[in-house]
Amino acid sequence: MITVNTEAYPWHSGMTVRSLLDEKVFTFRHIIVRVNGEYVPEEDYENFAIQDEDEVVVLHLMAGG
Amino acid sequence: MKRYLRNHDAISETEQSRLAEKHVLVVGCGGLGGMLIECLARIGVGHLRVVDGDLFDETNLNRQLLSSTMNLNRPKTLAAQQRVMAVNPLVKVEAFQTLLTEENAGDLLFGCDVALDALDNIPARLLLQQAAKAANIPLVHAAVAGWIGQVCVIQPGQDLLNLLYPNSNEMQGEEQESGTLSFTAAVTASWQAAETVKLLLGKSGLEGEVLQIDLLTSSVNKVKLI
Repeated sequence: MITVNTEAYPWHSGMTVRSLLDEKVFTFRHIIVRVNGEYVPEEDYENFAIQDEDEVVVLHLMAGG
Repeated sequence: MKRYLRNHDAISETEQSRLAEKHVLVVGCGGLGGMLIECLARIGVGHLRVVDGDLFDETNLNRQLLSSTMNLNRPKTLAAQQRVMAVNPLVKVEAFQTLLTEENAGDLLFGCDVALDALDNIPARLLLQQAAKAANIPLVHAAVAGWIGQVCVIQPGQDLLNLLYPNSNEMQGEEQESGTLSFTAAVTASWQAAETVKLLLGKSGLEGEVLQIDLLTSSVNKVKLI
């Protein structure tokens, strides 16, 4: 099991940031991903492996006022 | 005083007197800033310093409380000042029609108890965070895009905006695609105002976390940042 923001989410072998975003249907174009506090740049989404019990934070990147 | 009768006892009379002595800097008088200024003036924060270099244009009318068809091409700070005078003349307003810069940030923050980020671009937000840290005062941040908004309370040195905006060379975020809606700005700024009043009164509020509001899915989440 991993944590995505405040919710528990089932982990599976081979999970990457990209596959998680697809599963969770995070469709916004501007997002920030951190895994265990480490910022993951967009170019690394495909290859960044998520391990069981990781804490993943996915935030919208917004700056409008 | 009847003006504040409906504030009580959510705000005690002692707390009301304390609010009257507080100085708050609001940077940005647009969608977030207009609503913030409205809330803070009505609740009785005594001193507001409002900063914005822009004039109103037609694209502001969908959401910016202080804008109207009567004040297009006029300074946003002037509208803020006039609005506060009309709503609560007990509140003293200092208006600065200027952009926040490295050069003027220190002077603008001088003497303030808290700084409020109601800006509309990432570099200016990061500059304000740096200035608030240098002035050793908390910063209450808010931002919006379409149906979503976020609020964050940043104590000096926490630098939480660095976590929300990891690429400081970016100017904007999701709002480029999704725009900004009236109710999103109003809800988010109202929450920002509530966190500000709690800070000013020493009540506990958001700590090391970002509040994310999604009006499309009717959800609110607090996500731990540190």
